[in-house]
Amino acid sequence: MSGYRLARGGRIDRNRPVAFRFDGRDYSGFAGDTLASALVAGGVTLLGRSFKYHRPRGLLGMGAEEPNALVTVDRGPARITPNLRATQVALHDGLVASSQNRWPSLKFDVVALNDVFGALFPAGFYNKTFMWPRAAWEALYEPVIRRLAGLGESPVARDPDHYDATYAHCEVLVIGGGIAGIEAALDAAQTGGRVILIDDQDDLGGGALSDAALWPLLTDLKARLAGCANVTVLGRTTAFGYYHQNFIGAVESLTDHLAPAEATGPRERLWRIRAGEVVLAQGAIERPLVFDGNDVPGVMLASAGRTLALRHGVAVGRAVVVMAAHDSGWRDALAMAEAGVTIAAIIDIRDVVPGDLAEAARAAGIAVHTGCAITHVSGRHAVKGVTFAAAGTGPERHIACDAVLMAGGWTPSVHLWSHGKGSLAWSEAWGAYLPGTAIENCRAVGACAGAWSLGSGVITAVLPNRKPVRAQKAFVDFQNDVKARDIHLAVQEGMRSIEHIKRYTTNGMATDQGKTSNLNGLQIASTVLGRPVADIGLTTFRPPYTPQTFGALMGHHKDALFQPVRKSVIDDWATAQGAVFENVSNWRRARYFPRGGETMEAAVLRECAAVRNAVGMFDASTLGKIEVVGPDAAEFLNRMYTNPWKGLQPGRCRYGLLLREDGFIMDDGVSARIADDRFHLTTTTGGAARVLGMMEDYLQTEWSDLDVWLTSTTEQWAVIALQGPMARAVIAPLVEGIDLDGAAFPHMAGREGTIAGVPTRLFRVSFTGELGFEINVPAHEGRKVWDAVHAAGQAHGITAYGTETMHVLRAEKGFIIVGQDTDGTMTPADMGLDWAVGKKKPDFVGKRSLARPDMDAPGRKQFVGLLTEDAGELLEEGAQVVADPDAPIPMPMIGHVTSAYRSAAAGRTIALAVIADGRARIGQTVFIPMPGRVIRAKVTAPMFYDPEGSRLNA
Amino acid sequence: MLEIAPLAVAGIDLATGTAAVNGMVSGLPVCIAPAAPLTRWSLRARDAGALSAAIGRALPDRIGVVIDGIARLGPDEWYALLPEGTVLPGGAGLPVSVVEVTARAVGFTVEGAGAVAALARGCPLDLAGFAPGRATRTVFETVEVQIWATAPETYHVEVWRSFAPWLWHSLAAGLALTAGLD
Amino acid sequence: MILIHCPYCEEDRPEVEFTYGGQAHIARPLDPAALDDAEWESFLYIRSNPRGRHAERWRHAHGCARFFNAIRDTVTDRFEVTYKAGEQAPDGAAR
Repeated sequence: MSGYRLARGGRIDRNRPVAFRFDGRDYSGFAGDTLASALVAGGVTLLGRSFKYHRPRGLLGMGAEEPNALVTVDRGPARITPNLRATQVALHDGLVASSQNRWPSLKFDVVALNDVFGALFPAGFYNKTFMWPRAAWEALYEPVIRRLAGLGESPVARDPDHYDATYAHCEVLVIGGGIAGIEAALDAAQTGGRVILIDDQDDLGGGALSDAALWPLLTDLKARLAGCANVTVLGRTTAFGYYHQNFIGAVESLTDHLAPAEATGPRERLWRIRAGEVVLAQGAIERPLVFDGNDVPGVMLASAGRTLALRHGVAVGRAVVVMAAHDSGWRDALAMAEAGVTIAAIIDIRDVVPGDLAEAARAAGIAVHTGCAITHVSGRHAVKGVTFAAAGTGPERHIACDAVLMAGGWTPSVHLWSHGKGSLAWSEAWGAYLPGTAIENCRAVGACAGAWSLGSGVITAVLPNRKPVRAQKAFVDFQNDVKARDIHLAVQEGMRSIEHIKRYTTNGMATDQGKTSNLNGLQIASTVLGRPVADIGLTTFRPPYTPQTFGALMGHHKDALFQPVRKSVIDDWATAQGAVFENVSNWRRARYFPRGGETMEAAVLRECAAVRNAVGMFDASTLGKIEVVGPDAAEFLNRMYTNPWKGLQPGRCRYGLLLREDGFIMDDGVSARIADDRFHLTTTTGGAARVLGMMEDYLQTEWSDLDVWLTSTTEQWAVIALQGPMARAVIAPLVEGIDLDGAAFPHMAGREGTIAGVPTRLFRVSFTGELGFEINVPAHEGRKVWDAVHAAGQAHGITAYGTETMHVLRAEKGFIIVGQDTDGTMTPADMGLDWAVGKKKPDFVGKRSLARPDMDAPGRKQFVGLLTEDAGELLEEGAQVVADPDAPIPMPMIGHVTSAYRSAAAGRTIALAVIADGRARIGQTVFIPMPGRVIRAKVTAPMFYDPEGSRLNA
Repeated sequence: MLEIAPLAVAGIDLATGTAAVNGMVSGLPVCIAPAAPLTRWSLRARDAGALSAAIGRALPDRIGVVIDGIARLGPDEWYALLPEGTVLPGGAGLPVSVVEVTARAVGFTVEGAGAVAALARGCPLDLAGFAPGRATRTVFETVEVQIWATAPETYHVEVWRSFAPWLWHSLAAGLALTAGLD
Repeated sequence: MILIHCPYCEEDRPEVEFTYGGQAHIARPLDPAALDDAEWESFLYIRSNPRGRHAERWRHAHGCARFFNAIRDTVTDRFEVTYKAGEQAPDGAAR
């Protein structure tokens, strides 16, 4: 034996040595090793420190259940993954891993003093201790606890990896690639449907990989599987969640098992699988036994010892003691002995064991002690020996050993079964819950169904010992450091339900979700309470089965593909002009166009002046647009909007105000009647989908008798807003088929013709108070028309402007922006939009609500202007307004600032606000308290420019 | 490691000048390419007969089925993908809605033995049984699309213009990312 | 992600194609002005919130775009039945 590597055996490739580093030291293993098996082969027993007491810990298991050996794998800058189970990290050349939760080093850990003063950390410690004083939580407790009790450190650098995702469909999905799973997949394949088989290991076979007698069968099954064209095998894939209607989430690891230099393509792939039938073949997890010192590095599950020997060709120790309560421990001991591992003794709590096992052990020369229990494990960083006694209370005897294997029976893995809401049934024979009745079309096979012969045994709570349980370091939950005494304490302190015991002790609440601890915790609670386990319940397993990366769950939603950024057809032009952009719902819009290093303030003042004095052009393509067509189009709009629509003549436009049924403003926009039975509606950019959805709702479910249909045309039309006194002059040479004369084409008229040779719906409308047009052209011609207008405008000093300038220009005129000046609780009257409400209409959406008493009660906030006493003072949007700045705190607030800008036209700052009884306060002074000072402002009408509207009709 | 360039392209660029992309998904070849120019019409009516008469064309009577370039998307909704330049009567005064939406969307073709796998990366429908002649509105991740099965292993994907760059790059990234891997 | 049977498409379709539309069978009064404030409040705001069967509206927004009704169990998230807008709720449906 070289180190702990056995001379032969295992499924490793001894011709392919693999070099790796752990905690700064070089080691070597073989292809086919996991990090865990290679470390054991290299003589490493200490793999981590426990969560609370920082006790030295080694491996417990060999698979997904591993609670202790959490490591950080470093694949180069920004590719650091913490909290990986060493048992599931495939070895590759150059692997760099380190232990976690130790400071300053694994062997010498300062916080291990927690262990010495362990009495200070009883069950419920966090609940009891860190409650007071409240201020100390953020300042002291939380940072300290996080440092001391943390898992691995989260990487801080941006993840450079890519992740893939896909949906998949199959008639049968088999989860678990052991013999039962493979056989289920082969059976399913016979029916001819699509079959997917998922397995989390590098190699199919599950438990059979640790049983040489089954290898020929395994080889045969895998060959048959390879011959089935309708079976897709997903290896290195973990089914982490089982959702409604057989929807399974799984993550396939694609590159982590490869050396970084060999890794190409995405790191992981998220599989979202819809299956006709799900077959669960997840196997079973061995149960630890609970006894004093059961967490000393070197105390492991018997199945782990077997896997090390049979699969990886590694001896778990040079002298191994097996502590059994179950036949499988004997079988494992015998298999290990045959593989060349020295078994110092088998101790079994049972007085009588099956004769064939006892006989085989004697034949193998293994010392056997039945009716006995380990009472103590010596050693701190590694096992040095055990004491044991008949019934745990008899005279103690000592055996020198360097590994102790626990065979406490088996827990069928019902995790995914429980995700799928299948019921569980207590099995006395297994001492565990087994799948009961499925809700989904799902069945369990093999060991996870209790349908696998692993032998028989007895279930114990805590192994008997002369010492009281409070004096023992007998662990139940290794990852969260929950001892048997903690569960005793929880029961003593009044916890009765396992849900309470779990939360009080944190048993089963670590990242392993209690894969090895839940049943032992239940058994102990049951014993202390003197009630059957099934009466105490079982905590619920929830996804994910094992922790998954955020990257995998995000799939391809990353970087540029994170989410769609909607851009208009003018976006390229704006980019070339150096525009600064802002996001408006999913759209990216040009906010302003700085020239020569201009600030936003300077650029916006310049753009505003250009519109007021000459002409500006603005990309309004993102406005929502809906084509409303049908004989009942006008009737429908009349019911939806507050104002009358039936009398609107074709060729005319109208401002429409849309309420929700509760009477509050939802959206607004200018719409045109194209023909008797055809309207061109506009909505706000952010409201487009919402408005269409609401209108469809009324049309489909309330007024389905109306012959009218809605079609989203938001993306059909590019819209160029041309605003300013020179607007008409700019387009005059480009427009054909429309008389642009002011009398023929007045304000709020719409015409069809061509512009720059492109068919257009040309509306004379204004959101600036200036003479203006909105030029609608098919989107794919939008850029061409934009360029033509821009060129034609050069002679008139045309200036492109962005959303910020648009906001200022409309604020100077007191035009509201729904969602900025309104907040979902504002009525038309609140906003001074009474004129847009059809008083004679018998009904429209929201009308009845406007008649509720509170909707025009005194004290409602009303839309007003604010002028600060200091004309250079710019208020902050959202700032609160008060009537008396000397009122005691909390002082009554009467409203808030909704919009505030520097106005070129007004020559000063302006603001809009909603203030209680605001219109009655016009002329009064109000106060805006800000940190360290109070700003004074005068309430005005919400109108700062051209109140007569003379420019509009120019 | 493949880097995805920032999405500096507008939808119109994809419609007019984007080169086809060839690659593999799940070991199967896929080609995605901008579709040839088409005219698009949203057609609505309570009575299919009235609509059929108004536009002078036959209409599929089952939801999800295509006849002569017209798909039935819903009980009162059809969508026409017709050769460039086709003009349909407007149906003025009739209980129908005929709205041209040529510029609203752009089309891609996804073609090849891996076409279903390429679409399945973001589309939750089981397309294995989605035979030629079928069409439906659905989603690709968060983006609404229409998928038309136009021929064996050939799909036409319609997407609103401003979502087209995202969709195109998502499909292309799937090809590039998985190429040579499976 | 659940599958929802669209009564118009006559297919089970993935949940992400659908949007939820609140409690079903609450018709907008034909003459809202005839309702007193309490009645109007009831129409606007008062909704049932059962543990169990619930009649509710869904819309196949990214499919056929139609609103329809469903009986869903709020405990199990199971759809018992879906039916077209305007049709009666099946016998025993929750209100």
